[in-house]
Amino acid sequence: MPEARDEFLSDEDLDLQNLSDDELIAYWNLWLTQAQATNDLDEALYSHGVFERDPAVAESPARGSHTENTR
Amino acid sequence: MTNPYLDLTRQFNQGRLRALVSSGQAVVLHRLAIMSKDGDWVLREDEETMRHVLSVLAGHGARYRFGAPLDVRWLSGGWSAHLEHTGNGLRLRTDFVSRPPRVSVSELDAMWRAAETSDSEVVPLEPLAAMKLTKREKDYAVLGELARRMSDPRAQLRYSRSSRDLARLAAEHPDALADSLQVRPLLAHVARGRDALDAELDRERRTLMRADEARLERYRDAAARWAAIWPGVSRQIEGLGLHDAHRVIVARADGVLPTEATGGATDA
Repeated sequence: MPEARDEFLSDEDLDLQNLSDDELIAYWNLWLTQAQATNDLDEALYSHGVFERDPAVAESPARGSHTENTR
Repeated sequence: MTNPYLDLTRQFNQGRLRALVSSGQAVVLHRLAIMSKDGDWVLREDEETMRHVLSVLAGHGARYRFGAPLDVRWLSGGWSAHLEHTGNGLRLRTDFVSRPPRVSVSELDAMWRAAETSDSEVVPLEPLAAMKLTKREKDYAVLGELARRMSDPRAQLRYSRSSRDLARLAAEHPDALADSLQVRPLLAHVARGRDALDAELDRERRTLMRADEARLERYRDAAARWAAIWPGVSRQIEGLGLHDAHRVIVARADGVLPTEATGGATDA
């Protein structure tokens, strides 16, 4: 029986180690393409750091309530 | 096969190492998780680097987002610059610092020396771990796995988030534990058992998150006047090429966005 260990990330995340370079890049590119779906929602937003919202982008109901759940 | 952030990194580093992939995309390149659609880089802190990176981005039709100018004066004060362009149908956000948070000048120097020696274009595990000590819970999960990739037991003892791992490391490397007590007081609790150590790990995480919040708040206060005039600056640079927009932004930021703010960098 394997020794218990504290887990932090998913098996899917950790499986990146088993991909070839080309497989990693293909998966990465696919992820980036799919992530474009939230571009309208996070147009004004920053995912981290001091700059949280672009003050030049008008707030609308579609914007502002979404925070990129990434990075 | 290639990737837009790898392509940009190669262009930034054409002829000379100027930029290391950082933050979320560095986590990908360390093969831990895919977590971000934005690109972050740590830049060398010199004028030639700023000019070169700006020229690369100008070639892609990039525009400034709200942030500091891509200029040594502000980046050396810990600020971050944020730009954006479109490439192959992807919105590519490109964020830059030269003084990442919680990484000392000597650690930065060591990072660049190591990158030169190894020919790597990615922030190494230890400085990346320091950058991940943010106010966000999810960064501590990444940190837990980052620490397991480190080869030096002292580095693992400094950054591990696992009580099991810490207990094992302490037993296997008592000298490293003794050396590490000063940089991480939590290690004094290793002998008290897992429950006590888990409680200390939680306490340490909350303390680190609050410290990051306080750091960001200092920068946010320092950026208040810049934020207030940014809508006008944004209108002024609309339609300009990036080099012209950069000149406008530097001129407008001068005296409004302080180059020096206390305590570390803006991005994590």
